[in-house]
Amino acid sequence: MATDLRISNISKIYPGCIANDNVSLQFKSGKIYALLGENGAGKSTLVKILSGVISPDNGEVFLNEKNLKLSSPLDAKKNKIGMVFQHFNLFDTLSVFENLNIDATEDNKSLRLRINEILKKYNFSIDLDVPVLNLSAGQKQKVEIIRCLLRSPKVLIMDEPTSVLTEQETEELFISLKKFCDEGILIIYITHKLKEVLSLCDEVAVMRKGKVVSVSQTQNEKVETLANKMVGQKLAKIRKKINISKNKDEIFKVKHLNFYSDDPFETNLVNLNFSVKKGECLGIAGISGNGQNELFQILSGEIITPNTSIIFRNKEIAKLNPKQRREYLMAFSPEDRISQAAVPELKIYENVALNNFKSSNFFEKGLVNERKIKEHSKKILSDFSVNTDNVELKSQFLSGGNLQKLILGRELITAPELLICYNPTWGLDVGAINYIHETLIKINDQEKSTILISTDTEELLKLSDRIAVIYKGKLSKIMPSEEVTPEKLGVLMGGGSID
Amino acid sequence: MSLDISFIGILIGSIMASSVPLILAASGELITERSGVLNLGVEGMMIIGAISGFALMVITDNLFIAIVGSMLSGIIISLIFGFLTQSLLTNHVATGLALTIFGIGLSAMLGKNFVGIPGKEFPILFSSLKESIPFFGPILFGHSIVLYFAFALPFLTNYFLKKTKLGLVVRAVGDSPVSASNQGINVILVRYCCILYGGAMCGLAGAYLSLIYTPQWIENMTAGRGWIALALVVFATWSPIKVLIGALIFGGITILQLHMQAIGFRIPVQFLSALPYLMTIIVLVVISRDSRKIKLNTPTSLGRIFYREK
Repeated sequence: MATDLRISNISKIYPGCIANDNVSLQFKSGKIYALLGENGAGKSTLVKILSGVISPDNGEVFLNEKNLKLSSPLDAKKNKIGMVFQHFNLFDTLSVFENLNIDATEDNKSLRLRINEILKKYNFSIDLDVPVLNLSAGQKQKVEIIRCLLRSPKVLIMDEPTSVLTEQETEELFISLKKFCDEGILIIYITHKLKEVLSLCDEVAVMRKGKVVSVSQTQNEKVETLANKMVGQKLAKIRKKINISKNKDEIFKVKHLNFYSDDPFETNLVNLNFSVKKGECLGIAGISGNGQNELFQILSGEIITPNTSIIFRNKEIAKLNPKQRREYLMAFSPEDRISQAAVPELKIYENVALNNFKSSNFFEKGLVNERKIKEHSKKILSDFSVNTDNVELKSQFLSGGNLQKLILGRELITAPELLICYNPTWGLDVGAINYIHETLIKINDQEKSTILISTDTEELLKLSDRIAVIYKGKLSKIMPSEEVTPEKLGVLMGGGSID
Repeated sequence: MSLDISFIGILIGSIMASSVPLILAASGELITERSGVLNLGVEGMMIIGAISGFALMVITDNLFIAIVGSMLSGIIISLIFGFLTQSLLTNHVATGLALTIFGIGLSAMLGKNFVGIPGKEFPILFSSLKESIPFFGPILFGHSIVLYFAFALPFLTNYFLKKTKLGLVVRAVGDSPVSASNQGINVILVRYCCILYGGAMCGLAGAYLSLIYTPQWIENMTAGRGWIALALVVFATWSPIKVLIGALIFGGITILQLHMQAIGFRIPVQFLSALPYLMTIIVLVVISRDSRKIKLNTPTSLGRIFYREK
């Protein structure tokens, strides 16, 4: 039977923010719908309303012309609306089977039977009796999907499902979603990734600041048109002037970088040698898990490796810790904003104070110079257009993009000679990505250098002057970026060789 | 002193009796903690159970009413904790500490008129078998019904948590209340129930002290057993069977060191008194070394305040 889901005039107001402003949308089964928007556009609020987690201030939801009262998640379930949240709603310490059993009404034996049927039908391979915390992100998502499928849903909502998946897992997910769609399940796909919308979905609704600003067929859209709708203004195309000149000084030089670890989850690094010139951006490409983590930690001084030589501004710094390296004007932006770069429970100005220098005088005789830190933080917030001027705000309330701007601001305000960043735009929306890219280019324009470790090839091609690929802990030869194509990178990242 | 076999039997029997309040209180608290609630009021709930059990026994002269009443009083006082932490979202640790202080004070006030009143003999089961079978007699027979219940409880708790749907729900709530709520589970209700159950078991543990173990009312008679029970739960890594083992070790060494003191071992008394605490911790830490199992048994959300998004 065909399913028809209609949202009519939904509004939800939080103190100081209109999350959903009179949203009306219509969905019909047999199609995959995209709900597109930047972080904070109101997508998540809307799906939380659809799944009964929160209730709207105004408006109604109709399923096949029946007015639904969704006052708890139970109501959504009863009405066959399934939901896969961005942050998994699983119980880590329970086994897969227990996770699926928790809201089942049948006995264990027939449940197991039904689960096995689903596993077989969609080619999922998951051990039902291991605890969920042992699963990969992709497998966890499959458990969530199975949980929905067990209730034979009419509507399946996926909230930013690919943010934690590898490319392989993403492809598998898309295949499954298309299957579900063919079987008559209405799929609503929430994302801020434009390419996914174009490759997977049939129709796309764009949200901005709580409002639906456009509904259209994806075949009539392009990445640029969707991006402009999403951000609400024309995004400036960024192009970088490649500036390689042979006679510039080498500011940073790494020799004989070796790293050996007993931990099976770490990658060994084998004899890496490279250098960075003044005003240059060196890109390091690779599929994640090929040694980027270890490389970043060694470059930042979190891990000290023996017999490695790191020369920075004509000084040997291989034995220095991150703080000492910062004093020599290096700066670092790690991949994980929440747990490595900032402390989410601390206020903005406290996070700023974490990166303190002798010269910045944040601390005097063991006391915190709050006034000075706050002034400094305000300057960062305005210079790097972070979307708040309240330095007392806890960092966890900043969106990913704003947090990244704050972190970059904190690192850059000291005018470092070399910035090393690892996936600086991971999980951000186009507006924020654009801003970060502009900032990184500006650094090079000011004759400062950057090392960009990234898994995003497009980003690397856009920003780097020279590119190398890391594969299983080994570095390829370093190539000028005008000689590099996405295809070449792809081959090297997969472990192949070119020429 | 001759350590004949029947003496050892009696010794083991008395060790079992001394560990009963620990087993009861710890098993109750274990369920509470498994649902993600950290109730540090165990000592307070126990002492309230002790005085209300004893007072009811004196007033009604009915042991059944006394036992049931002690559990009810445990429930009522844990309801205060539940209301504060679950409905008013107060901090678990601070509220639990306050509950203990409150319980000790209240019990002292209520108990003023009951000091010095002799207790009533509590019926023991199979008393004839206790005498007639050497060694095993005093171990297996001649105990109160509460003791048998206490020794069955860890196994029942284990079965409940591992095999029943409700146990699964309790574990799920303790693991991730947000996920549970999104799955349509009423997290607050589940936690209330677990808190009240914990209160009932602590009340019973207190009544065991004042009605059976040392049948009289003495101010502050729980003497820190509630804290030991709390520690047992943690060091047993939230496993009911290990709680039982820990309680027996603690009770065992407590009794043994008393005997050692009586015999006059040349070991400082202070060290002997510290021995039960030391040994219990060492043994439980050693048997719970598997870090994977610890991770699976630990209620991830323990002590964190949960509220539903509106």
